[in-house]
Amino acid sequence: MREKLLIGRLIDTGSPVHRLDPRAKMTAMLLYAVMVMAARSWPALLCLTAFSVLIMILTRIPLRMYLKATRPLRVLMLFILIVQCLAVKGGSVLVAAGSWHLDSAGLAAGVYAVMRMGLLVSFTAMLTFTTSPGQLNQALEGMLRPFERAGIPAERLSLMTGIALRFIPAILDEAQTIMKAQASRGADLKELPWKGKARMLTALLVPVTVGAFRRAEDLTASMESRGYRIGAPRTRYRPLVWGQGETWFVGAFVLMCLVVIWIGFN
Amino acid sequence: MAIQLEHVSYTYDARSLLRQTALQDVNLELAEGLLTGIAGASGSGKSTLLQLLNGILLPTEGTVRVLDVTLIAGRKPPKLASLRRRVGLVFQFPEQQLFAATLEEDLIFGPLNFGASPEDAARRARKAVGQMGLDEALLSRHPLQLSGGQRRKAAIASVLAMDPDILVLDEPGATLDQVSRMELTQLLHRLCREEGKTVIIVTHRLDELLPYADLWMIMHEGRAVFQGTTRGLVDEARQLPGYGLSVPQPIQYWLELEEAYGLQTEEPCLSPSGLAERLTQLAFTEAKKARAYA
Amino acid sequence: MNAMENIQHKSPVLTGYQENIAAAGEDIPAEGSSKAVTDMVVLEELSFAYDGQHADIHDISLAIGKGEWVTLVGANGCGKSTLIRLMNGLLRTSYGRIYIGGIRLEPGTLGEIRQKVGMVFQNPDNQFIGATVEEDMAFGMEGRCLDAGEMRNRISGYASRLGISDLLHRHPQELSGGQKQRAAIAAILAMEPELIIFDEASSMLDEKARRDWLDLLLEMHNEARYTLLSITHDAEEIAASQRVLVMHQGGLAADLAPQELFRDVGLLRLCRMEPPFRIRFALELEKRGMMPAQQGMTDGSPNPGSEVKRIWPFSWSM
Repeated sequence: MREKLLIGRLIDTGSPVHRLDPRAKMTAMLLYAVMVMAARSWPALLCLTAFSVLIMILTRIPLRMYLKATRPLRVLMLFILIVQCLAVKGGSVLVAAGSWHLDSAGLAAGVYAVMRMGLLVSFTAMLTFTTSPGQLNQALEGMLRPFERAGIPAERLSLMTGIALRFIPAILDEAQTIMKAQASRGADLKELPWKGKARMLTALLVPVTVGAFRRAEDLTASMESRGYRIGAPRTRYRPLVWGQGETWFVGAFVLMCLVVIWIGFN
Repeated sequence: MAIQLEHVSYTYDARSLLRQTALQDVNLELAEGLLTGIAGASGSGKSTLLQLLNGILLPTEGTVRVLDVTLIAGRKPPKLASLRRRVGLVFQFPEQQLFAATLEEDLIFGPLNFGASPEDAARRARKAVGQMGLDEALLSRHPLQLSGGQRRKAAIASVLAMDPDILVLDEPGATLDQVSRMELTQLLHRLCREEGKTVIIVTHRLDELLPYADLWMIMHEGRAVFQGTTRGLVDEARQLPGYGLSVPQPIQYWLELEEAYGLQTEEPCLSPSGLAERLTQLAFTEAKKARAYA
Repeated sequence: MNAMENIQHKSPVLTGYQENIAAAGEDIPAEGSSKAVTDMVVLEELSFAYDGQHADIHDISLAIGKGEWVTLVGANGCGKSTLIRLMNGLLRTSYGRIYIGGIRLEPGTLGEIRQKVGMVFQNPDNQFIGATVEEDMAFGMEGRCLDAGEMRNRISGYASRLGISDLLHRHPQELSGGQKQRAAIAAILAMEPELIIFDEASSMLDEKARRDWLDLLLEMHNEARYTLLSITHDAEEIAASQRVLVMHQGGLAADLAPQELFRDVGLLRLCRMEPPFRIRFALELEKRGMMPAQQGMTDGSPNPGSEVKRIWPFSWSM
């Protein structure tokens, strides 16, 4: 049962960031996304990077873990770099080969794009490294609660995401076993032509869906027999507590957001 | 030699942060036509070992030889189709892996992939269903219309239908009732004796396989810590708790008997009737001796 | 064979129960009648019609006393799972009455009954609701509206009792089969139920884990706080329990002691079972005219070590 992705794994160091209300961290994440969008110049990007590194240090998780978290996306990042370099023209010519030339503006645009992507991914990792999926889910529910009167079923949504988070790795594992079993019986995805691949993948749907239903049934029985009823009153094992720390944390992000936007206007 | 492993290691995610060595320096030799039992606590590397035997996993170190195919770590493997036809691998909970619209389609899937004609495949499907003691009438059913036990048998039949020379099964009896488990073991034993198949069974219930297995292999933390005959296993049995296994009752009893009567060289009797028979014999001789003295 | 007669002379518990029913016959609707004091579970003329997925049940009446350890056996598809799912209202009865701890199971009492009944299922993976062991243990208690301090106390208490304190922050998929089932039990115990029902909960464990499992059941039984009802194919677990209910085609085929079951070839065939090795061995010896020195070979003792000492060295009658 190996989880391939580093993103989505809690690394518990017991830092102050870990102890923050997950709603604060989620709000901060949203603000961070805004900052990444708004940072369109070198000074802004540098400011943002410094700020991110500071927060990452506060988590007491080694910085290389954040770098590793971006690894699954390295091919995509390289692709974006190349596309930007080729597409954006202007500024001085850096390298020329025949009719083709790499311009400074292209390179800059490429580096910007890659940096912003890297920052966003590694910062998302910060959220998942410091917050368990259960807490994230609780935060989601907490943040959606006010919209319940507008018809958003917060409890149901968070229950659904919680169960999805819980079962997706298991279902992927199961799919992998079925693929191995099929390969053992002479249908190796790797060796099949494209048409055969498509056929095999659709054949996979039946046992995987059946498996998912089986799990769902078991889980329902388990929940019901533990007295779960949707809408029934519940207490919280870890009640969400918004204290001063949370306000300061989100405050820092708001301030940083303003700084980045201000730099953008100058 | 049907199967030969030389210094084989296997590491999952070898190049990532999550690297995990599942097998370490495993050496193994299995002759054709024998029934081998593999035991080990969960996480000892049994399932990984099985997947090396038909090329689903390739060794990260060492050499795997199965029949006439050689898989060497780091080298590009040869075409694996012929190997997979000859090595039938049944994964854990195979009943969850049936995917076709009818049982028959599922059964002919393997043979067709390996180039059998439709008629031949259908014939083999019927034969395999018969071998597993299922009714041919079930062939036209959707797998989900079968009971759990029938599905398990059908899934094993789908591998039998490929008519492999080597049959490898990962805990085929898990969650089945006792009688079904026994029937399954007896069937596999028959396939081994009568049709000369090489059978490898991973099991948690050593006691149930003891009367049938020719060879045993014990895995512990990715290493093959024991390999040998049932006699050898009995001699080593006191080590089993150290490998996260308990000493099977038949062996416990035999060890007592062996110690009391000095039977250390004898082939152990490990079925209830065999053990009782041997004990009765011994008791009679003892009684005779006692009378002679008196 | 008349199953009912058979049961009655074999099982004092059920005989007693039959009298109880007769006595309580007039005032069945009255709750808290005398039987409520000693019986954890009372089923009266229970039936369930096949719903396309769960086997049917017809006319089962039985009683399980408080603190008893009962196993429920039978071939696949005989209705064992249906029966236990009726007991905590996961399925609705078509006919008959169920009392748990003296309370009649009705839509209105469902919540109360589920507080009394804890269920542990076969597949340890599929019964985890929380993303960590700790969160999973909290899930049931949150539904009971316990305050956070009480939940913390219970989690640490029951986790240490089951030896899983170090695993509280783990994702269920990082645990071994035995650890998963321990965590599942911890989650159930934390809700402090009176009746614990196991639905083939040990069938996916390896041999060593199954041994530990049996020790755990013994321990829970000896604590005398819980009534245990377990569906199992495991011969040693059956032998260790006090009483066996045999189901066949939706009905109750027998209600007897484990050692009686292991001597009844017909019943064993009915539920596709074999006795544990040591009992098969003892029976084979008996066939050859050899008796163990002392009685007790076919007892419920799950520890074969002591058995070995008892029959060896070689003091048998011939």
